[in-house]
Amino acid sequence: MNASRGADALAVTGLTKAYGHGGDTDERPALAPLTLSVPQGQLVALVGHNGSGKTTFLRMVAGLLDTSGGTISVHGAPRDSMEARAAMAYLSDQPTFYDDLSLIEHLEYVARLHGVTDWHERATHLAEQLGLSDRLDKLPNTFSRGLRQKAAITLAFVRPFSLLLVDEPFVGLDAAGKAALLGLFDEAHASGAALMVATHELSFVSRADRLIALGDGEVRYDGAPGDTDVQQLVFHT
Amino acid sequence: MSGRGEQQDKPLPLPSTGTKAMYALRAQRKRNRLGDLEWFDAAYRVYVVGLFGGIVLAWLSDRVGDEPLSAAQAANVLQHGPAIVGMAAVIAVFAGLRSGSQGGPLALEAADVTYVMLAPVSRRAALLRPAVQRVRSAAFMGAIVAAALAQLAGRRLPGTTVAWFFGGGLFGIVIAALWVGSALVAHVARVPLIATTLAGIGLVGWQGAAIAREIPGPGNLFGSLALWGWRQRPIDWIAIVVAAALVAAGLALVARTSLDALARRSSLVAQLRFAVTMQDLRTVILLRRQLSYEHTRSRPWFRLPLNHDGHAVWRRGWHSLLRLPTGRLVRMAALAIAAGACQVAVVHQVTPAVFGTLIAIFILGLEVMEPLSQEIDQPDRAASFPLDRGHLHLRHLAAPAALLVPFGILAGVAAVVVDVITTNGDRIGPSIAVAAILALPTVFAGSAGGAVSIVRDAPDPLSAKSTDAFMPPEMAGLTNVMQTVLPLIVPLFGALSVLAVRASMADGATAAISAAARMALGLVLLVAAVAAWVRRRDRIRARIRQFMDEGRAQTTQQRSTR
Repeated sequence: MNASRGADALAVTGLTKAYGHGGDTDERPALAPLTLSVPQGQLVALVGHNGSGKTTFLRMVAGLLDTSGGTISVHGAPRDSMEARAAMAYLSDQPTFYDDLSLIEHLEYVARLHGVTDWHERATHLAEQLGLSDRLDKLPNTFSRGLRQKAAITLAFVRPFSLLLVDEPFVGLDAAGKAALLGLFDEAHASGAALMVATHELSFVSRADRLIALGDGEVRYDGAPGDTDVQQLVFHT
Repeated sequence: MSGRGEQQDKPLPLPSTGTKAMYALRAQRKRNRLGDLEWFDAAYRVYVVGLFGGIVLAWLSDRVGDEPLSAAQAANVLQHGPAIVGMAAVIAVFAGLRSGSQGGPLALEAADVTYVMLAPVSRRAALLRPAVQRVRSAAFMGAIVAAALAQLAGRRLPGTTVAWFFGGGLFGIVIAALWVGSALVAHVARVPLIATTLAGIGLVGWQGAAIAREIPGPGNLFGSLALWGWRQRPIDWIAIVVAAALVAAGLALVARTSLDALARRSSLVAQLRFAVTMQDLRTVILLRRQLSYEHTRSRPWFRLPLNHDGHAVWRRGWHSLLRLPTGRLVRMAALAIAAGACQVAVVHQVTPAVFGTLIAIFILGLEVMEPLSQEIDQPDRAASFPLDRGHLHLRHLAAPAALLVPFGILAGVAAVVVDVITTNGDRIGPSIAVAAILALPTVFAGSAGGAVSIVRDAPDPLSAKSTDAFMPPEMAGLTNVMQTVLPLIVPLFGALSVLAVRASMADGATAAISAAARMALGLVLLVAAVAAWVRRRDRIRARIRQFMDEGRAQTTQQRSTR
């Protein structure tokens, strides 16, 4: 199935996740049947208390977690298709790196895997934005928590995408890092990419076009961020 | 700029672009790794493996001997050998099926899962090389082990050493292919664990019946391959074709590998390898459980009634044990039964079965000591309790010891049943008496070994790395060996206890029962000594350290007065 630019950036139908059944495991589903779509160019803030299902949802959409039911399509193409993988970028809250590659080598690898040949200028610019210019030749596995997060951000943005999934991006970032990341979000949003950002930073919500609140694996709110008391939604659902 | 939106008029990248980049960069990384390889270190590892392999081979060679078998004995091997050796093939399939259902057999680097598997590159291309490497390394190991064992067999059976070596090597490759192939197929077909477990048990049971009743078994053709050093049958080619077909099917469908499983296994397998290298048994066990999705029950089997009088550690122990998952309880029951069966085999002159008992009771001991292990895993929490650490650890032995009682009884019942089957019930009375006397002390000896292993790994509040560093290398090596072997000593006494019974059986049932009672008493004293060691370990270590510090101070003083 070919990716269709007319289709929603992300369409999820009846998506569920359960981690087993019986006394040996938790019977409660991590995600109740969930249906939603994200049109191209929309910035979505995904909020919810700890264990509400945000990470489970994002990892399932990214393809890193098997679904228990439902379908996921990216620009009309199935989640695991080549088209979907080319269109979708995922920035995890737990970045992983190769032990034997420096940051610049990581950037080259990821960019080239996504068919980007003129990657170097973009990579150095990203590193500069995030204050990693003097660390391009260092091994990111040796970085501190905040620097690892910044390195992961450069890897997410060095490649093209039309849908960006982000899980808790602000954790561990200093003020400059947060500002740089928000700038990159704005850039991507302005260029027409859809973004879905799971976060506990409630100040970010006001920047979003749409707010989705999850609670115990269910959608508790889906609408404009200004129409609701986010604090109430996140901490009292 | 990053967003695709600004590049909407540009086509999506072609799949081949990314795949070519992947191949090129993988090749570059391989060259880098080879460049960074410490050749001396690698050569030393090969030397150590070769040395230990040679010692084991020499020992086995001595045990097997080289006197050719008589014609009748050789005919017996020809008749029963394929079914018995074929059990290895069936077990390989069983293990492979379960591994596949649990997400195996592949494990990529965590970063490969994030960056390569989520990139627009062919997943088949990305996974084919790791899969082929898996097949290759398993086949290599299988070939080496089987070839070495086969040439030992060839010394007593017809056929040249070379023929046995290559025949055995082929058998090893086929067994490895069965394991990896069935794992790959079970994984890509998403066969549920319960289905693979039942299928595996069915196959093992069928092969067991083939051995006992001389009916055709599923592993017979594979077992027959092991005799190719002696004689080759064209029909055995079917076994080779089946193994090759399994691997081919797995490789053809490798793109269907679950990313979920790869993501989970990637970091776990790396940690597991490191823990094995560091001989960190507790970490190996924990990671192994995570790899096989073995989680503590979210709901206990039953809830303890609220009781403010009961001792906190005793209740904490039961809270833990009542959450043991079904799989672990079944495994513990199987270990108890295996221990009982092995002890009977020892009585029937199969002395090496002692090692079977040793392994079974030791692992059973590690499994049951979960509350103590959890306490050791959280040293900061334990240190905050207003309780002496040794006392705390000692109290943690109580609940596991109580839970061991039914497993000890199960081991005893298994021993009696196996003995009755093999002797047609000729000595059922003495069998019951010996089992009743020895079963519990034997499993307690195993759990004592487990406790030693767990407590030994506890962080030492008295340790001072600077003083440890002064230990001579010879002592450090000896200490390392002792630390590895020490936990097995008490279970070994437990396993060996049945030898005394066997030796006194010639003097009649009463003598055998008396021997069992003496051994049981010895084991109880040994277990009590371990409990005392757990209680006083910190004090003993403190005294030793104080003694050493005083010695050092005295030496320093003497030097300064000179």
